[in-house]
Amino acid sequence: MTSASALRVRRENTPAGPGGRARRRRSRRSTLIGLAFASPFIVGFLFLFAYPIAASAYYSFTDFNLFQSPEWVGLANYVQMFNDGVFWKSLANTAVLTIFGVPLAIGIALAGAHLLNTPVRGQPLYRALVYLPSIVPVVVGGYLWRWLLNAQYGFVNHFLSWFGIEGPAWLQQPEWTKPAIILMSLWTVGGTMIIYLAALQEVPQELYEAAELDGAGVWRRFTNVTWPTVSPVTLFQVIVSIIGFLQIFTQPYILSQERLNQAGSGPGQSMLSYAMYLYQNAFVFLKMGYASAMAWTLFIVTLIVSLIVLATSKKWVHDGAR
Amino acid sequence: MHMKQHMRRRALVAGALTTATVVALTGCGAGGGDSAGPTEITFSYLWGGEEAKVLEEIIADFNGSQDEIVVKGVSSPDTQKQLTSMSSSNGSFDISDNFGNTVGAWASKGILAPLDDAIAAEGIDVDDFVPSAMEQMTYDGKIYSLPIAIHSFQLLYNTQLLEEAGVTPPTTMDELAQAIQKLTKVDDSGKITQLGLGSANDSTTLTTLGYAFGGTWDGEDGPTPADAGNLEALQWYQDNVIEPVGAEAMATFVSGQGEYLSAQDPFFSGKVAMIIDGEWRSASAAKIAPDFEWGVTAIPAASADLENSTQVTASTLFIPANSKHKEEAATFLAYLVSEKPMEKFAVALGNLAGRTSLSDSAAFADLQDFDVWAAAASSPNAKSLSSLPYSAEYATDLATAFDEVVRLTATPEEAIATVEERMANYSTK
Repeated sequence: MTSASALRVRRENTPAGPGGRARRRRSRRSTLIGLAFASPFIVGFLFLFAYPIAASAYYSFTDFNLFQSPEWVGLANYVQMFNDGVFWKSLANTAVLTIFGVPLAIGIALAGAHLLNTPVRGQPLYRALVYLPSIVPVVVGGYLWRWLLNAQYGFVNHFLSWFGIEGPAWLQQPEWTKPAIILMSLWTVGGTMIIYLAALQEVPQELYEAAELDGAGVWRRFTNVTWPTVSPVTLFQVIVSIIGFLQIFTQPYILSQERLNQAGSGPGQSMLSYAMYLYQNAFVFLKMGYASAMAWTLFIVTLIVSLIVLATSKKWVHDGAR
Repeated sequence: MHMKQHMRRRALVAGALTTATVVALTGCGAGGGDSAGPTEITFSYLWGGEEAKVLEEIIADFNGSQDEIVVKGVSSPDTQKQLTSMSSSNGSFDISDNFGNTVGAWASKGILAPLDDAIAAEGIDVDDFVPSAMEQMTYDGKIYSLPIAIHSFQLLYNTQLLEEAGVTPPTTMDELAQAIQKLTKVDDSGKITQLGLGSANDSTTLTTLGYAFGGTWDGEDGPTPADAGNLEALQWYQDNVIEPVGAEAMATFVSGQGEYLSAQDPFFSGKVAMIIDGEWRSASAAKIAPDFEWGVTAIPAASADLENSTQVTASTLFIPANSKHKEEAATFLAYLVSEKPMEKFAVALGNLAGRTSLSDSAAFADLQDFDVWAAAASSPNAKSLSSLPYSAEYATDLATAFDEVVRLTATPEEAIATVEERMANYSTK
């Protein structure tokens, strides 16, 4: 007797009395109750995620201005994107910010975490201080940095002048605008630093002691003990930072703004990030179809970059720690 | 069976509760009255601070003047929110404001309610509004907005700096070029210490100069960025304002200049000797720099027939197509643009009134030299950028091109050629 037929026999042997119906009813009831409890999430997911995602996929193949019915245009938006110089410019700007911003953010966070892990007086205070900028709203931070980066009155150039360096016109010279944006982004690196700090504290002290007995120097201890332990955290941070930089909006938007409520792009469009151009198309030019196509392209680019990082991670993320 | 009924009842209760919540959450914004009381309409405006205060006074005046309509004023300076509200079938306001250059883009998409019938019903005299501003209010033969205030641009100068340099206010482009040369000071390291002609906003300065050189930015069949007058203006600006000091020194100077219209504003602080800017400077100078001595004159003309060339922009009022109380909103709109309220509003903002009949009003007498801007606004050479579906894209591309001109990274011809290339993809509806 196969198991399937055994099951059938057992079912057939069950008396078709009120007990069986009650069980079925009970199970249906518990399913309904379960669904009712999950309904806030299900409704939220369907209306706030699934529907907008599906709608934007559809809009990306249409000519849509938010107010009139979308008109199907096939691949026209995607084709236009390839011939749009400003699209490529915004993509290149974003790539530069990501390529320089991510390693800097990770490096500074890791180095800073080491400093915060040193037993010195006032350690909790330092830990709180590095995290402080992360709780300042990014828009407020943006206006603060506009002032800090002012070529004449700003503190950054004033600070540089102590070392005899004449600071540049950060926000007026195209070659200096991206360092300005990265500088402002690094201001909130404290969050990453705190996560690294937690990871560092997980490293077993006896491993350091053993390494020291073996005569390992600072660098050897870092590469052989610290790095393997923090590498999974690093993988997470790299992916999160890449996504953050690929979607960068507020910092360049505020730094490039000439007047309130006005969309700028900085000298030579050097501050026009991908997300800013997407926003411009959607809400300033009312080209929602084109903006949707840009959003999907960004999604695909982000996915590919993340997959590449994940693929390479096999080589540098320590297996034992995973 | 009992169980089933119980479940069904519970589902019904849950459904009713959900519906009630949704209705409560969304319904509270809907105004309106019943047949017994006055109709409530919402006026959402982008102004804030002092300007909002005056606007609330005008609203109170209106509410007190009749008992059919109650206007509720909401200060909401978020253009994004304004747009979102107009994209749904049920909007959150019945009347709002924006700038003239958005009219075409919004009218073409059906966002704005046409006002022609309301204008006729309310007996508004359209011919009294500044003609160049009215051009922006019209799309496809219909009027979609009315200007409550308008703006024109003129040449302001620092009296003391001009006297020191022995310069009289220029009247021709050649005189302006010479004045700039005499009023620009550069130190030994090449750093600008005083600039002859500054710019509050490169885009407005350069489009206005385009008009002063006889150019035009729009034609019958679309944008005309490469018009000869425009290119001449851009070349003149490169040759006389940027080249003598260099683009890098200019960038450093601009980066270090104080906030616009603050006490550190480079014109008010004497770092810039002349500037092309709008009539609100008169009101803000009185408030921010009361001891500052300045004068204003017409933008020099490139030739005699171009005298009093200026650019006119407008602050406009409109009724969104999704308003549920269009008639009442139109009554209030007619009140706002009638002489007394309009005058009160314009004086408070230090703006020119939208009606030509108010241009010599005594109410503006306290504002220094206000008549110079007023005269320019009604001049036959006062022009405005047209308001069409693609206006925002065109303005953005022009700003990018002007940036290249100012940084000397492209000749005017090269910079404008990029704009011409992009014109092919502009929205047409």
